Amino acid sequence: MKKTIAVYFGGRSTEHDISIITALSSVIKPLEMAGEYNIVPVYITKDGRWISDSLLKDVALFSSGRIDDVVKKTKPVAVTFDGGFRLNGKKIDVNFPSMHGSYGEDGSLMGLFRMAGIPFVGADMDASVIAMDKVLAKQVAEANKIPTSKFMFMTRDTFLANQTKETKRVADSLRFPLFVKPAHLGSSIGVTRVVDTDELHNALEVAAYYDNKIIVEEAVPNLIEVTIPVMGNKTPKTALVERPLATADEFFDFDNKYIRGGGKKSGGGKHTGAQGYSELPAKLPAGLESTAIETALSVYKALGFEGTARIDLLIDSKSKKVYFNEVNPLPGSLYAHNWRAAGVSTVELVQDLIHLAEQRQAEQSKLQTTFSSSFLRQF
Amino acid sequence: MKYFWTRFLPSYPTVLLYMLQDTEYRLGRYLGWYHRVDDFRLVMKRRTLEVTRKVWLLRTALWLLVVLIGTAVVVLMYVAMTEQMVGLFLIGLALLLAAPFVLAYGIVLPLFLGWLLIQKPREKMIIATAQKILNQHPARRIAIVGSFGKTTAKEMLHVVMGERLHVAATPGNMNTAIGISRFARTLQGNEDVLIFELGEEKVGDVRRLSRLTRPDFAVMTGINEAHLSSFGTLENTVGTIFEIDEFVPPRNLYKNAESPLVKRHKNKSKLWFSKKVAGEWRVSHVETSIEGTTFSMKRKKETMRIQTGLIGVHTVGVTAAVAALAYDFGLRTQDIERGMRKVRPFEHRMDPRPMHGAWIIDDTYNGNSQGVAAGLAFLKKSGARRRVYVTPGLVEQGSKTQEVHEEIGVQIASSADVVVLMQNSVTEYIKTGLQRRKFKGKLIEVDAPLQFYTNLDQFVAAGDIVLMQNDWTDNYQ
Repeated sequence: MKKTIAVYFGGRSTEHDISIITALSSVIKPLEMAGEYNIVPVYITKDGRWISDSLLKDVALFSSGRIDDVVKKTKPVAVTFDGGFRLNGKKIDVNFPSMHGSYGEDGSLMGLFRMAGIPFVGADMDASVIAMDKVLAKQVAEANKIPTSKFMFMTRDTFLANQTKETKRVADSLRFPLFVKPAHLGSSIGVTRVVDTDELHNALEVAAYYDNKIIVEEAVPNLIEVTIPVMGNKTPKTALVERPLATADEFFDFDNKYIRGGGKKSGGGKHTGAQGYSELPAKLPAGLESTAIETALSVYKALGFEGTARIDLLIDSKSKKVYFNEVNPLPGSLYAHNWRAAGVSTVELVQDLIHLAEQRQAEQSKLQTTFSSSFLRQF
Repeated sequence: MKYFWTRFLPSYPTVLLYMLQDTEYRLGRYLGWYHRVDDFRLVMKRRTLEVTRKVWLLRTALWLLVVLIGTAVVVLMYVAMTEQMVGLFLIGLALLLAAPFVLAYGIVLPLFLGWLLIQKPREKMIIATAQKILNQHPARRIAIVGSFGKTTAKEMLHVVMGERLHVAATPGNMNTAIGISRFARTLQGNEDVLIFELGEEKVGDVRRLSRLTRPDFAVMTGINEAHLSSFGTLENTVGTIFEIDEFVPPRNLYKNAESPLVKRHKNKSKLWFSKKVAGEWRVSHVETSIEGTTFSMKRKKETMRIQTGLIGVHTVGVTAAVAALAYDFGLRTQDIERGMRKVRPFEHRMDPRPMHGAWIIDDTYNGNSQGVAAGLAFLKKSGARRRVYVTPGLVEQGSKTQEVHEEIGVQIASSADVVVLMQNSVTEYIKTGLQRRKFKGKLIEVDAPLQFYTNLDQFVAAGDIVLMQNDWTDNYQ
């Protein structure tokens, strides 16, 4: 009998649109190709309404703007936990979140699925929460002796209350150039590279506009930026080390990742696609590839990841030091292009992820979560 | 007749026209297909109806017929109701129920009359003119006969002989009397060599086409169960292809020694070809990969190092025969070697293309069991990360359908890691063969082939080889 997989996309996030493309092209399509599943698409609107309709599998619905009519005409999804996890009365076997950013990739959705006791694809709630807070992720990495670039952080309230003082505090403590980032956002949204105090102040204002927590990091000199997709529960494996290529001396921002991608011609060995263009596999100085892979696996385990994640690393090509930068619990388009180059087809990828979700659920169901006590008798 | 009601859908007349167009207005095939269909919603899967002038005229005729029948039914029912005539009511009802069949057969009538009164005399005239042209043409002629591999052999001869001679060959798979005659009308008269692909579907076809083309040389590519449905027996197929004997002297007829049905049939020709020999030439040092095939040919003091872009050991025999024949026609060994290097895979015939680090081998024009065996032999030894085999099976295998497909299943089991079967009437036979050989790989059944082909990129990863063999058009189910 075919399993029923619910795929969630959209959401109350700045990465709403990217999530739609990930779901339709890298999750639903290969699941259909596998021929072993009934697929229930669940679209979460920008204001948080959940709707489900088979029409939602068609990207033209979103690109044409007709989605607004469908949302108006469709009743919101009814979620029940009676006798398993049900959407509009239909029993779901596995949930497949295809969400980026807040309320999807940050552990919120995972919490709901944990409550329902249903297998779900990707990182669990706690790992997602850590990953979605760049400060917390770096602190966990440091506690596990994984090198990170020097950083500081502040809350939005702290910054807004003492803008000059906070700017000076950072400028005095860290060495320019610096990167200023909203602590919870992905896809390089609100990220600015600064080289002096004036730029720093402006960048902090920008980051405070997007998030309630801001992280400022020192730039790594002689930089090689790489990213490594990882998949697995207890024995994770990596795909290929990939080097995202942006403009000559700038960083890899939203534009490079999602908008310019595929628009420019790449040279030999370079990959183009929804994730911009990159060198795949990355041509690294001798010995650095294995160090990068080891670091990625250490981060994956230290942060408690299961399912999949993409680990971003920074390499100082002179000192040959590898730093943990950040982690992405649900990389855009599942980084299917990288897995494909590593010998895992997109159909295999989604099937493996479903299998890992079921495996984790089976493990968790063995755990004892309650016990009998006489505590209530005293009342 | 579970889906009888689908004959009353407004799309039904369009579906009939689609079936006619898809079978190239061959009434036998159209009616055969019509009788196989139960659910008429599922007929138009791969394309839409192309509205040509012919279709426009036929559509007008069909809708006139619809209006006529509809009016008759309404009038009969009305009279029957008002006059309370039960008999008349039943006649009206019967006419209503028979209407889909009246339409399906009714549309055949103008086509048959058009063929009889216009097309047939016109074709007869074209063929007669072509006969005159070909009778007077001074070129030496080569006929390509056999159940499979004719187009490949013809194209290869064209490329190689073209290195020194002025050559013309029938284009595409134009291999009927009218096709060849149309080709004859394009000749300039100064060609050195004419190459004809002779098609065969029924007894006497090769004789008829040989009378028209008058070949001096021939290459017999092989014989198998293709068109068995129209030939009735394999003996008829063999007899028809060997009709070439009546026209080509034995010293000029190259025959495929790797085809058991050719090998078994006795005739005077001793010019065999295989992966070891081609006439007096010895073949050795055969190597094949996704990039092509290489081998050596030696005769007395002459040697040739042949290199083509064709894939698979099965291409060696026919390539060697082409080289030997080109030599017979006076080409120098270096001309032949140079010509062979220009031979690339032909479209949809073991035609490789890269996709995301994988190789897709398009062999969808292959529709015979020898081709299947050859493709699977290549896949087996390809050394790919995953060997993926995609097929709907073969058509027109007549009484041998079950046997042929079970054998294909057995061969797949030892050659592929993943099997993708396009669901149809032969799928179960292939699965039986897979089970018989205890296939341990992954089996995927697909009911929407077009969707599968267009989303193949989702299915492959670096290091895979995907071999796609044969493709059923909508008229096979």
